[in-house]
Amino acid sequence: MMRRAPWGISIIALAVFGSSHASPAPTAQAQQPPAQSMPAQPAQPQPVPAQPAQPQSVSVPPAPAQGGYSAPALYNYANAFARAGKPGFAVLNYERARLLDPSDPDIDANLNHVLVASGLPPETHTQFERMTAIAGTRTLAWLGVLGLLLAGIGALRLRFYPRHRRKFAVATLLGIVVLGVSIADAVNLWPVMHEAVVITKTAPVRVSPTLIEETLFVMPEATIVSTGAAHDGFVLVRTAAGRTGWTPSTNLAPIVH
Amino acid sequence: MKARAHRWLGMLAAIALYGIAGTSEAAAPSVDAAIEPSQIEMGDSAQLTITTSGSGTLSVSLPEVSGLEFRVVGQSRQIQIINGATFESTSTIVRVTPELPGVFIIPGPSPNSPTMTLRVMPNNGSGSSSPPDGSASPGRTPYLPGGSNSNLHLSADGSAFVNLEIPKHELYVGESVPVEIQVGMRDGFVASINGLPKLNSSDFTLNNLSRQPEHAAKTVNGVPFTVYTWHSLLAGVKPGVYSLNFETPMTVRVRTRPQADSRIDDLLGDPFLQNLFGVMVQKNINVTSPEAAMKVLPLPSQGKPPDFSGAVGAFKISADVSSAKNTAGDPLTLRMHVTGSGTFDRVDSNMLETGPEWKTYEPKSNFSSNDPTGYRGEKTFEQPIIASQPGAQTIPPLTFSYFNPGTHQYETAQSSPIPVAVSPAANSAANEPPPVTASTSGPTPKSPNSAGAPADESHTGLRPDHAITEARFDSVTPPYFQARFIAIPTVLALLFGGGWMALRRRERDALDVRRERERVRSQIIRGLSEQMTAAAAKRDAAPFFNAARSVLQQTLNARWPDIPAEHIITDDLDARLEDAEKHEIREIFTLADEANYSGHALTTADFERWTELVRRHIAVETPS
Repeated sequence: MMRRAPWGISIIALAVFGSSHASPAPTAQAQQPPAQSMPAQPAQPQPVPAQPAQPQSVSVPPAPAQGGYSAPALYNYANAFARAGKPGFAVLNYERARLLDPSDPDIDANLNHVLVASGLPPETHTQFERMTAIAGTRTLAWLGVLGLLLAGIGALRLRFYPRHRRKFAVATLLGIVVLGVSIADAVNLWPVMHEAVVITKTAPVRVSPTLIEETLFVMPEATIVSTGAAHDGFVLVRTAAGRTGWTPSTNLAPIVH
Repeated sequence: MKARAHRWLGMLAAIALYGIAGTSEAAAPSVDAAIEPSQIEMGDSAQLTITTSGSGTLSVSLPEVSGLEFRVVGQSRQIQIINGATFESTSTIVRVTPELPGVFIIPGPSPNSPTMTLRVMPNNGSGSSSPPDGSASPGRTPYLPGGSNSNLHLSADGSAFVNLEIPKHELYVGESVPVEIQVGMRDGFVASINGLPKLNSSDFTLNNLSRQPEHAAKTVNGVPFTVYTWHSLLAGVKPGVYSLNFETPMTVRVRTRPQADSRIDDLLGDPFLQNLFGVMVQKNINVTSPEAAMKVLPLPSQGKPPDFSGAVGAFKISADVSSAKNTAGDPLTLRMHVTGSGTFDRVDSNMLETGPEWKTYEPKSNFSSNDPTGYRGEKTFEQPIIASQPGAQTIPPLTFSYFNPGTHQYETAQSSPIPVAVSPAANSAANEPPPVTASTSGPTPKSPNSAGAPADESHTGLRPDHAITEARFDSVTPPYFQARFIAIPTVLALLFGGGWMALRRRERDALDVRRERERVRSQIIRGLSEQMTAAAAKRDAAPFFNAARSVLQQTLNARWPDIPAEHIITDDLDARLEDAEKHEIREIFTLADEANYSGHALTTADFERWTELVRRHIAVETPS
């Protein structure tokens, strides 16, 4: 009876793993795509590329098809924005597409193309980012769960049922390594959760969150910034060069919303 | 007798004066002033007494003389009534403290008053008639007990000094020289430094003056000083020979008694005692350093490299790249490190220029200093570059030109070329992204621009659209940060943690039960052993063998926990034991049964043998 205990745990864990793995994407098919076509909130002043009718039919591309997000759809959407001369929305959608499919070289190439055309420096990637891009974020995330399972079961077996010690030691070690890679990928992606793209032609950055305050500098369209506190319609931003200040939130669209 | 005669004469004189005064009108107000003494030395003070007298009031203002400080230290008032007329006189005591030697003309307190003259001698006794300029003159022999034998030029009262340490007196235009500005304050004599050291020259600039000075104790001619040291960079603005000095405002305590009277104070050397007896007053002065001559040379016009940006110093450069392997179209970061000493704010570089092999962007720079003034350090330039062609590429050497004041000539540092292996883009035969317009190559030509010309011609280099075949996701948020996903590893971790704790608890409980059972068994065996000993002493065989059997049943129960101790019989021994052990134990079991009915007569040796056998089995089963 006692010797069956870890298998019971593993069966439960595998059941949870299997059920959750099966659940995510397909179930959302019936849902309305949550604002994918709307590059964030900046509704009023922006020529928002909303679904059907647009006053500027030449410059605004259509929204991708219904049914959720997909990397190709976002990529095509970004391409359409780029061709329409809207680098801010183009960069925004390239970044979102890259979150879904970091291994697609076309996304990176077009993103850098648009950034360079806008007079901004292209994005560079670390060796770790290139390696994790091969597997993909979602695969790495589920591999992390698998690693947790392996490490957990292996550790329990090693401690309480010391048969086949070597096999379970290897399994535990493997699980810890996979889990570590997954956690490192999550840590690496964390800053993106607080990044936004300038979607207006220019975005003045001020000393404090008031319109009467002095303008420190002006960010061009398609600039990617880190966002911080929000106050009274303003967002605290930090550029890649380390400059900080407040800009109206209507000038920005968060990459992850 | 003689004194009494003087008193009477005085009274008569007073009466006579009373009579004379009584016949006259009340006197008009008048002002008199006198300075005492009229000649003093630097560091001493004179006393100016202004006396107003008369029945009316007269406003008196303190005189103003450049180089002299007037401070009211006391006032007395006297009222006399003579023949009904009131005479009032007021004496105001003013302390006059010179700020520098010279002859000063002090105007009277009222227009009708005569002027007064105060002669202020230097401390060394030599007279001076230099006009007062409000600052302590450098270079004079200071007053210090024991005299001065150092190179430091103390202020006139010997309470402070400013010293400038310059490593070289010849520099080029644009060259920065690290300098040390030392401000020494005699302990107890300087109340405060009222500002940072100030450069008294428009021909030089002072950069990066350290905010917080270093301070250290120093003895000058046996007198303790606290020396504050600022570090800064001095640079010449234009060619020529110039002199410069530094000035520091500070508040010092000066003596109010003549120097001769203050010798004892110096001997005591305790500012507290001096303040206690009121011999020190505070005064604001500017202490100036000795003048230093500097020669500023122009940069030579010959041999100036075209990329010279004005950097003067000694520098080295090196270069590296973020990755030695890359894909065409992907950016790399090229870094150039400039290390050394000199004017880093003039160190600039365009790095790599755009060419047929590399597309480059504006570099960014970052400086990390190795010292507080920024004279030594490393400036790093970072430039994004993109390889235009696949294959084995080489980043050409980077150059940086500067003027080296050590060799007196322009020099150009050069980095090594960097090889980079550039592989072709993954989904493109050529490195160049296909010049796709939406009308020609997009597999999903759904864009409105697909039918017409691109809205922005600069974006015609985009790679084509993709066919939408992948499964869709309900959020772009990475799964790590979705609550639904986070719940899974959390539940798993809780399960494993709970399982670990449950198994640990079960293991511990089982161990506790086993220990308790062993403890009870040990107690029982100990009791039975005592019964055996007692029975052996009485030579009573029946209770002896019964106790011996019970002991053996208990010890065997530890080995066979599935059989209760009392239920272990000879059949169990036959089934589970082997050879000698079985026979010995079986014999005791049999003897116990027989002794209950037949009554064996055993000798002492028999009791000892059986006792020894039982003890051996106890020892085997419970080794501890």
